[in-house]
Amino acid sequence: MLRASSENRGDALDPRAITDPSIDPLVEGGSRLIGFVDAVLGGGNVDGRRASLGTALGSDAVVDASATIANFEMMNRIAQGTGMPVGKGSLAQTEEWRSLIGLDRYRHR
Amino acid sequence: MQPGWLRATWKRQTLLVERQDGSGRSWSIWCHNRRMTQFLEDVSIPIRPEIPALFAREWSRLAAPGSYWSGRQRIEMAATAREARAGSRNGNSSLPAAAEEAASLLGARPAGTSRSWVESTMVDLGSGPYIEIVGVVSRAVAVDTFHRAIGSPLPRLPESVAGDPTGINDPAARSGPAWVPMVGGASIVGALSAVPPEAEAQEDMHGPLYLTYQQMQDLGFVRGLSRPQMELVAARTSAINECFY
Repeated sequence: MLRASSENRGDALDPRAITDPSIDPLVEGGSRLIGFVDAVLGGGNVDGRRASLGTALGSDAVVDASATIANFEMMNRIAQGTGMPVGKGSLAQTEEWRSLIGLDRYRHR
Repeated sequence: MQPGWLRATWKRQTLLVERQDGSGRSWSIWCHNRRMTQFLEDVSIPIRPEIPALFAREWSRLAAPGSYWSGRQRIEMAATAREARAGSRNGNSSLPAAAEEAASLLGARPAGTSRSWVESTMVDLGSGPYIEIVGVVSRAVAVDTFHRAIGSPLPRLPESVAGDPTGINDPAARSGPAWVPMVGGASIVGALSAVPPEAEAQEDMHGPLYLTYQQMQDLGFVRGLSRPQMELVAARTSAINECFY
């Protein structure tokens, strides 16, 4: 979805930022968004990261980022709790990205 | 209905009214003139009304009997997951040991699941009861995560609603490539389909927090974030959770 939505807009994207926060994802406000996710899920300075994100992208962006994190906290647990396999088609489509960003180390496929 | 109030109904037997407080940034569930739970306290930015309305529905679902577990037991699952995420255990749960372990693991360390562990847990509890735990815990974690992200104290867990489990399940569910039985082919949308109320609750959460299943097809969708920005947040969240999904 990340690749498809970026291509749809013609935006640049460096997917390595998904697993390496030191890399700029090239998405507008992307480093701040990743910093916010890391703070929420990793016990960092959430207040500071939230303020930084709000300054850069606005309060609606903070709400959407918070809601998206919450949704994927739910969906990840459903996938991991039920052993949801990734289809052969999706595996074929994502082969290049999986190799690039090291997704194959995750067991739920 | 006065301005600032929303009405939400759930399963006909429950009527909830949520009041938007004077600040416009804090929401409460009121029922029969008694405030039951407050969501999103001390938040400094406006929240889309569909989010507190969703949380009110979820807290009502959590408190009521499910297909296999009582309202009290469902709340204990949410409490166990919350405590596990905080690194504490109070040991007061009346849940069977396998259910408590499942709520704790799914709450705090979902990457620690495995096919053998899930199969063993389903031997102890049954597949339907296990699937209900997955649903209850995953949604409770979502509510808590939003509160942490937005800068609000976690909402108090609801009081349980008396009653027996409903026994609702889908007899068409079959074992397949996933670790739990489901209806139709394996897909994340149908992951909880063996216990239909849990699958319906998953879909109910998905829209207000992210996108409806239909909106997901719209790659140009924009709200507070553009679609690539949303997907970046989703991908980073999944990476931290070590989840391929």
